[in-house]
Amino acid sequence: MTELDATTREALAELLLAVADDEFVIGFWDSEWTGIAPMLEEDVATSSIAQDEIGHARALYELLAEVTDDDADRIAYGRDPEAYRHAALLNHRRGDWAFSVARRYLYETADAVRLEALARSSHERLAQLTGKMRREETYHLLHAEAWLRRLADGPADVRERLADAIRRLWADAQQLFAPLDGEGVLVTAGILPQPMATLHAAWTARVRAAVEPIAGKLPDAAPSADGRTTRTDDFRWLHGEFTMVAGGVEAATW
Amino acid sequence: MSTTERIWEVFRQEDEGDPMVHAGNVNAPDEELAMHYAREFYGRRGESHRLWIVPRDAVTELDDPDLLKPPFDRSHKKPGGYIIKHKLEAAKQRAAGEAGE
Repeated sequence: MTELDATTREALAELLLAVADDEFVIGFWDSEWTGIAPMLEEDVATSSIAQDEIGHARALYELLAEVTDDDADRIAYGRDPEAYRHAALLNHRRGDWAFSVARRYLYETADAVRLEALARSSHERLAQLTGKMRREETYHLLHAEAWLRRLADGPADVRERLADAIRRLWADAQQLFAPLDGEGVLVTAGILPQPMATLHAAWTARVRAAVEPIAGKLPDAAPSADGRTTRTDDFRWLHGEFTMVAGGVEAATW
Repeated sequence: MSTTERIWEVFRQEDEGDPMVHAGNVNAPDEELAMHYAREFYGRRGESHRLWIVPRDAVTELDDPDLLKPPFDRSHKKPGGYIIKHKLEAAKQRAAGEAGE
């Protein structure tokens, strides 16, 4: 592919960082279930899916490192909490099982919409990578849907916990489609085949139909400009956890 | 939500054409999660070409010793139960003797 000009490169870096940080952070939150998931089999499944997400983040960080002439490990572990660009949905701590299921469902459905678009990107490497990611994410989505249905069909208290989690996460889930500064450049170049607002509309239509029967009518909500820049104490705690080893010994290799 | 877990027996095939071999089993409350768990336990490292996931209660089990290990000598039903080596040798010698006459 032809060399990108500085503006396009910067816009691509912003997009890659947003998607990579989403995958990285949800991977770490869900790995908090390792050892304590509802049953042994689910423990293995949840941990494996969390590992998959971190694997996707790694591949995206590596591509980003090439684009920006940086180092993937430094990007992943060497930033202050405020420099992460994951959506507000991923600012919350793990919560109970219903909360994690609700978040995974909202995330996986949005990720599916986003990856479907990015797999058609004019940026060949990005299209190839997201095409590969989609193959694994298909299974993640099936798993999340299975649990959503299971809890929704469960006893009243289970259903209510799930409904409550969906209502609590609804506004922050929109932020997965928060506008990017360089979005216009990316859409013009075909790197992002559709604007975030279009992807958001496609996601909302699909997800409302699935979650409103559980959670009731959800308010109109739109992504906002600060959807990927607001950080919380929950995330600062997680950041301390996942940078502990990398931060302990500078530039260690193992 | 049914909290009743069932046991599912998992069979795996390493490559197309290989026999399906019993891999082990998983606990799961329904078929859908059984499929996910079987995939995680017996396929997540790319080691399987195909899985069969069967509820254990669909398996007909036979373990009656009267049927499987009856008390009388069964050696005559085994391929090795009827020894013909020495008979063959005798037949060969006989044939050689007849030819020499």
